[in-house]
Amino acid sequence: MKRIRRLMMLAAGPYAPQFRATLRISVVASLVQALAYASFIPLLAALAADPIDTGAAWTWVGVLAALVVAEALLRLRESAFTYDYWHLVTGDTRTRLGERLRSMPQQELARRAAGDLTTVVGSNVTSAATGISSFSTLFVRLVAVPALLGVVIIAVDWRLGLVLAVSVLVSVPLLRRLRTLSNEGFRRVDAANAGMADRIVEYVQGLPVFKATGQAGAGSARLAEVFAHQHEANAESNRSASIPVAALQFLVQAAMVALVALGAALVLDARLTVPLLLAVVVAAARFAEPLGAAVTMTKLFEMSEAALTRISEVLGAGALPVRPGGRAPESFGITFTGVGFTYDGRTEPVLEDVSFEVPERGLTALVGPSGSGKTTVTRLMTRFADPRTGVVRLGGVDVSTLTQEELMRHIAVVFQDVYLFDDTILANIAMGRPEATHEEILAAARAANVHTFAERLPDGYETRVGEIGSALSGGERQRISIARAILKDAPVVLLDEPTAALDTESEVVVQQAIDSLVTGRTVVVIAHRLSTVVGADQILVFENGRVVQRGTHTDLLGQDGRYGDMWRAQTRVKDWRLTREPSPS
Amino acid sequence: MSDNGVGLRPVKELVALSPGVKARLGRALALGALGGAGAVAGYVCVAMAVGELFTADRSAGVLAWWAGGAFGCLIVSLAARWLAEQVAHRASYDLEVVLRTELADALAAMPLGVVWRTGAGRIKKIVQDDVAALHNVVADAVPFFGAVAAQPIAALLALGVVQWKLLLVALLVLPVATVSFSLMARDHTAQRARYNQAAEDVTTAVVEFVQGMPVVRTFDDGRTSFRRFGAAVTAFTDAVGAWTATSRRASAFNQLVIVPLPTLLVLAATSVPMLAAGWIEPGELVLGLLIGAMPIESISPLMHLTNYVNDSKAGAVRVSELLAEPPLPEPEYPREPQGASVSLRGVTFRYTEGRGAPVLDDVTIDVPEGTVCALVGPSGSGKSTVARLIPRFHDVDSGAVLVGGVDVREMASEVLLRHVALVFQDPFLVSGTVAENIRLARADATDDEIIAVAKAAAVHDFVVGELSDGYQTQVGERGGKLSGGQRQRITIARAMLSDAPVVVLDEATAFADPESESAIHEAVARLTAGRTVIVIAHRLATITGVDQIVVLDGGRVVERGRHADLVTSGGRYSKLWARHEQAASWGLAGNRVQEVIA
Repeated sequence: MKRIRRLMMLAAGPYAPQFRATLRISVVASLVQALAYASFIPLLAALAADPIDTGAAWTWVGVLAALVVAEALLRLRESAFTYDYWHLVTGDTRTRLGERLRSMPQQELARRAAGDLTTVVGSNVTSAATGISSFSTLFVRLVAVPALLGVVIIAVDWRLGLVLAVSVLVSVPLLRRLRTLSNEGFRRVDAANAGMADRIVEYVQGLPVFKATGQAGAGSARLAEVFAHQHEANAESNRSASIPVAALQFLVQAAMVALVALGAALVLDARLTVPLLLAVVVAAARFAEPLGAAVTMTKLFEMSEAALTRISEVLGAGALPVRPGGRAPESFGITFTGVGFTYDGRTEPVLEDVSFEVPERGLTALVGPSGSGKTTVTRLMTRFADPRTGVVRLGGVDVSTLTQEELMRHIAVVFQDVYLFDDTILANIAMGRPEATHEEILAAARAANVHTFAERLPDGYETRVGEIGSALSGGERQRISIARAILKDAPVVLLDEPTAALDTESEVVVQQAIDSLVTGRTVVVIAHRLSTVVGADQILVFENGRVVQRGTHTDLLGQDGRYGDMWRAQTRVKDWRLTREPSPS
Repeated sequence: MSDNGVGLRPVKELVALSPGVKARLGRALALGALGGAGAVAGYVCVAMAVGELFTADRSAGVLAWWAGGAFGCLIVSLAARWLAEQVAHRASYDLEVVLRTELADALAAMPLGVVWRTGAGRIKKIVQDDVAALHNVVADAVPFFGAVAAQPIAALLALGVVQWKLLLVALLVLPVATVSFSLMARDHTAQRARYNQAAEDVTTAVVEFVQGMPVVRTFDDGRTSFRRFGAAVTAFTDAVGAWTATSRRASAFNQLVIVPLPTLLVLAATSVPMLAAGWIEPGELVLGLLIGAMPIESISPLMHLTNYVNDSKAGAVRVSELLAEPPLPEPEYPREPQGASVSLRGVTFRYTEGRGAPVLDDVTIDVPEGTVCALVGPSGSGKSTVARLIPRFHDVDSGAVLVGGVDVREMASEVLLRHVALVFQDPFLVSGTVAENIRLARADATDDEIIAVAKAAAVHDFVVGELSDGYQTQVGERGGKLSGGQRQRITIARAMLSDAPVVVLDEATAFADPESESAIHEAVARLTAGRTVIVIAHRLATITGVDQIVVLDGGRVVERGRHADLVTSGGRYSKLWARHEQAASWGLAGNRVQEVIA
């Protein structure tokens, strides 16, 4: 209970005071509502008196009317939170989540699936806001009104109150059991869903194979299996939760009947008056009804609790710590000194005791098999995460004394996968340096060979790239990303095999674009095709998280080692031809 | 009532697909109604018991009878509601399986091109999430609607039978309910549409922000992306603000009147003079107070339900749309391919069904059995489209695609796909063992056959040498535990096992992993040996020895011939070749930079 309250306050953020006030109003309104029901006791006493006490009856009708109006006014103020703040809470929470995503360590960001974060920032926020604005006050109402009416009934007749007290006491463990069971059910269904999602994607991707082998549609045993499993998980979780729900509903209703029976018996013994019993029956009906509703609302409460929990997890993720003593680097060589690194949640280090120097304005190539640590090296250069041991320095400055923002001012990155925003080509390039002038953007675009295709587009640079840029070819997208990097004009450039999977024709223009990008800068390139880096000033050969060889292409070919093997394998590939006969390798 | 308020037609249409489920939902509805009526009856018994206390000769026997009746009604009501829930839930779970199987069938029947254009992510959302969202209406709402419909009617009936004057009073509030209902429905669709648009925009912005974040962060400090995200969030906030501002009065009215207390107040106030005049009995008043507010009370949960129902509805529409995709027509009298030649005869094709410029314009290509044909051309020239038309991912607008001399439209798609092996999507693996993945191509293959193709596809060495459980190693979801090159070789082994005489291959995806390039080359060479091969070529060096090169540009065949002839002809191909030579000799030149500085 306390936990949910804390989570709600956290999510309400700057609107927590208003939320707190709303909860207070909700409690008061519920008190007024309980009093309104309680006023039926004297009212019915007056009405059931023989002869009927009209004067008293009208008085109590007046009181009842006043309470009804009072409650209505309070409820209006209570619901005002929904109208005035629900949307502001979603906006504010999303903004805070967005800032957190911007500042959380990149390793942390990479660890979470994009789909998962999308859910947190998207639908979890709305369901948390609804939890705050509607479910919290509903919950107060559903709990406070019966509680207060219980007190009233006990005050009227403790024996009748006892019946209710017992039913509440019995229902507590049942509710707890229901919670456990429905949590188990959630987990079971979630697991089944995850399995089903994978099989559906698999089915779509493998449809040609499945169709060819009669395993498509109704013939797909792999799909039938997960569908059945999911069915079973659903049915099982429903079955297990339905018993306590039924028991709870029975309990609440049976208490009501027992109350009437006991009351009637008391009346027959003349230990209770008829009007009082009347009043208690009416009040008890109001006691039972919200409790029953609370049981069916459990699912909604739990959904919003889950949403709140996930939001607080993201909000609670700390930023990468910045060590003191930072200053802006003035030169742009990069050094690794005894660097070791292990990814969170793994035990095997990806880098061990790696030391090297990237000379300023030189070209350094990182080569080696996948998993050897090349990508991790570039990640540590951009403060994706901090090394476990050793130091990474840019221009002599320990990068862990700089925020990622300060650091990234000096570094431009071109990835194999290009991410473009659904905006104009111009805007996508301008991201490299938001304050750049129109002329500067066009100059960068020209240098990156964007000009050649942008001019042919119907709206030129104002053409929107379409969602995830599917309207553009890989080479064109890559050139836009290079233009961004050129515009950024950073002294350090990191390249992750940017021409790996392009058509011959676009490859040439992308290569030209890269040439204009790297001139006169410190360049670190991850290369798979060794032929592209034979001119490097320094080649670092990685294997199993260590630098096993270093030197120029000529140096390394002269040595007997890993590099020579890789070079020979790739030369063989280069001579390979697709013909009718198996290759003569 | 439920129909006007929430418009369930899309959901109903889907339910109608399964008559069994529909019948059971009818039962659930009836049981829900019985539950609602039972609850009312229980209250009547309670009120009768209380009324009995007012009589002069109150008898314990009669009281016990009424109390027993109340208890009996309670049991019946709860049991009926429980059963209704169970029946509806089970029917709903069964419906999910029925719909998912139907969807799987529809996906299998529609053109593969349409399936892949729709995308695995979207299809997953429809088959999984949208179908599951129906649950809200089918399982949760059906018994509930039963109770909601039965309870007010039973309550009013009971009031009428016991004391018609109280019925009149209770009916007084019905116009209020009607007003409130029409308020709820007013401008509903327009508001909803506006809100939905804002919500959709914010979702898009969130997706973009989250997906772009890792990349953008290393790029700028995220300012630009954050501004875009912030703008969408604000737009959503404003849209909701505007909506609530216009609808708040109606909602407030609903919140104030769709609660029991005002009705009870009216009942109490009117009963003072009626009791005084002796028109009604106190016991009857108790009944009025117990059930008089039911008609209005049963409306209020509907307000909560509306959102969930709308989710279901939106999902149901998407499910129906996918089910309604026209299937690829299957021939009535299917023919078998004769041999392994492939030809396109005057093929014209558009992705946009008859509109716009054709992607392929009168393309004729002949690939004799056992030869290799390379498709070359800039991106957008149509070479990938040619590759997709051979396994009939789409039907041509005019002309014909022939495999083994038979029009692909005259072949059962199963037969066609068995005849043509595809190595041009991302390597596709199922979660399971290595052996299972290879065996997918032919369920009855022996272990020896599997090992034979694994050896030929350069799979055997890493399976035995690197994987802990050999062929029984689990490859993870979609093969995630293997490298790209390993996955690719397993799919090549599978293609070999299928022994399809025609192979369609995309060089770019086939050789996606530069680190195991040479192993993949060997595998591809063995796969293509002795088969008819159509390859989408990117690196011209690999195709200098093929039987036929077809150069495409703008959807037309502009040149064809062998490498040696084309390269000297001075046409389009010779230009491409010159560019290729230039690209191949490119390298990042660090020393040159140093020289410039020095």
